[in-house]
Amino acid sequence: MSIATTPRGYIERPRPSGLADVIEVILDKGLVIDAYVRVALIGIEILTIDARIVIASVDTYLRFAEAVNRLDIAQANQQPGLPELMEEVTSGGASSKTKGVIEGVKEKITGDDDDEDEEDKGKSQSRSRRSSSSSRSGSRSRSRSSSKGSS
Amino acid sequence: MIYVYGVLRRGRGAEVAAAGVEQAPIRGVEHGDLVALVSDLDGTVLAAAREVRAHWAVLDEVARSVTVLPVRFGTVLDDDDDVRASLLEPNAERITELLRVLDGRVQLNVRAHYDEERLLADVVRASPNVAAMRERIKGLPEQAAYYQRIRLGELVAGEVARARENDARRALEALDPHAVASRVEEPRGGDGAFALAFLVERGAVDAFGAAVARLREQSGDRLRIRFVGPLPPYSFVDDELRAGTPAWA
Repeated sequence: MSIATTPRGYIERPRPSGLADVIEVILDKGLVIDAYVRVALIGIEILTIDARIVIASVDTYLRFAEAVNRLDIAQANQQPGLPELMEEVTSGGASSKTKGVIEGVKEKITGDDDDEDEEDKGKSQSRSRRSSSSSRSGSRSRSRSSSKGSS
Repeated sequence: MIYVYGVLRRGRGAEVAAAGVEQAPIRGVEHGDLVALVSDLDGTVLAAAREVRAHWAVLDEVARSVTVLPVRFGTVLDDDDDVRASLLEPNAERITELLRVLDGRVQLNVRAHYDEERLLADVVRASPNVAAMRERIKGLPEQAAYYQRIRLGELVAGEVARARENDARRALEALDPHAVASRVEEPRGGDGAFALAFLVERGAVDAFGAAVARLREQSGDRLRIRFVGPLPPYSFVDDELRAGTPAWA
């Protein structure tokens, strides 16, 4: 698999990617055979918290509120719609203050890979965190899973 | 026990260099015009985090040159006879049909995540309710505003869900014309915007990539778009063993 990052939308040749990407592509996909056996799969835990669950808890609401309150956009409220102010918000001093609120409820993947590439290291930091409600502080230090793929 | 990776048409380069699950060599089990890619398996317990890559690598290598139908990860049959009896023989017709319609086509995944800060700033700007509530809460002590904060978060969550729907629809509209078929999948993680899988003619991959580039430009820094592929048609063989010819063929 490859992740093309150029603005032209070029597609690179497939190459091994982060464990999370591989799992995302192949898990629960593919032909299901009648009367097949599913072997015991150990050493991996995937907690996919889907969006509906993510946005449905008081805890999440409070964290959303906290994140929104921290945003440094007081002036933008008085003069809504000014693009230069938005620019300030997205690139300016508020950066990193609200990082991690959404990230904190991302899927957690634990694995026993010892050959994980750079991208996986970010994931593996989340090893011990299992639920959205217990992950707030830990999420801040995590690298974004798609840092390699974003432009 | 036999681990099963996928099925392809016989005589079309089933030799695989990549090692399989448990480092076992890949071999083919043939029946009629079909070959199942398998490897021998010692136990019934797999270190999944490692083996999921082996599964991927085997299919990826084969898919570079020919169309292969992926079998679901973790599928194990008793022996070679069982591969024929449970997989190839009873499903020969449908597998052949699927291979025919998927021939010359690859899967491309387009997934996007939000930059959280940017998304929330947009929400505050676009929603007067959110902005007003935010202002109201601002000066209050945390405990005093507890329920207002929940209400604010709820409003924000609703706006985030709406953004997700809109962005998914826009991406689908932009990319679908360049694809044979598409699947809307559940975005993973709370900051996931959308997860789309497309079936694209090999010859149309560049055109599709150009459409992705345009979408990326239009989205600016609101979305971090990942473009992954070409992949075997993982998302286009689900349930098809039962369904016969898929509707889009």
